Amino acid sequence: MHAHSLKHIKAVENRRYHTFFNLAIFLAALTGIEIVAIFLPFMRPALLVLLVGCSIIKFFGVIMWFMHLIYDRPLLLWVFITGLAIAIGTVLALMELFVQSDVDVTAHAMMEGMRIEPKAWV
Amino acid sequence: METTASLSLPEPAHAHAHTSSGIENKKLIMWLFLASDCMFFGTLITTHLIYRKLYPSGATEEGILNITQTFNIELTSFSTFILLMSSFLMAIAVSAMHKGELKSFRRNVLGVIFFGFIFLGCQVFEFTEFVHGNPELGVPPMTLSNSVFGSTFFVLTGTHGTHVAIGVLWLIGLFFYSFSGRMTRDSALDVEICGLYWHFVDIVWIIIFTVVYLVEYL
Repeated sequence: MHAHSLKHIKAVENRRYHTFFNLAIFLAALTGIEIVAIFLPFMRPALLVLLVGCSIIKFFGVIMWFMHLIYDRPLLLWVFITGLAIAIGTVLALMELFVQSDVDVTAHAMMEGMRIEPKAWV
Repeated sequence: METTASLSLPEPAHAHAHTSSGIENKKLIMWLFLASDCMFFGTLITTHLIYRKLYPSGATEEGILNITQTFNIELTSFSTFILLMSSFLMAIAVSAMHKGELKSFRRNVLGVIFFGFIFLGCQVFEFTEFVHGNPELGVPPMTLSNSVFGSTFFVLTGTHGTHVAIGVLWLIGLFFYSFSGRMTRDSALDVEICGLYWHFVDIVWIIIFTVVYLVEYL
């Protein structure tokens, strides 16, 4: 490879280093916020939104910059997004399909010799 | 921040010569694998969430499981931080290979391997704590077979741990290969593919940490 090309690569990679470093600090800070947030006396739905929001930001931070999707061809992004969309669709569909009324909770509780008070979860 | 165009690397001479997509086959296949692995982890996470919803007590044979009492959120937060930082080192290692800086690559990969071992060590310690419980504090044991929560939890986090272990083995292989004299700047693609796998393991943990651990404290 030509010398000027290598020089350009090094310049680009050096700039990326700062991006990666800033992202790493940002991700660590977001994780810190998540951990502190769960002990704060906020409403559960608000905290749930915060945690999910932080996770989504961290998720896309890693795939876009650390995994180079922002620098690579868009096809790779679409390949991954397709798999992700199918996975999320599966999660949502199954969560919707399996509801508490499908389970004989009483029988389960009797089997384990205890009383269960079902609560809404997620 | 620079635009995407200004940050684009000049393509190696051989990179796009034989593919109609303009993407190296190895890289495309890796992304397809990661997309399929998303679905795999999606089903495991769903299984955990569904059973958590259907059997809220998390009951074990030894007594009702207080999940937040069982979990050690400080330890899990530490291992999450470790995995995030390992991702940073991996990105730097890939960058070093693009620049042809073998020493920097080795140093950073060694860091990733070290962090990977710390993560695995934390997981082993955590699993051991869960299996034994803490009778003095009234925390019942949680095993793979004594509760629904334990079954789905261990399968999900254990599968992730297996992925981490495979990643560590892969990195160790690359580290030793770098001493063979056959690793050049052209090997950057192989390192990048290993990096993609490692980052994927990281993003899966980001989801597991929130959905399985943090949500329990709300």
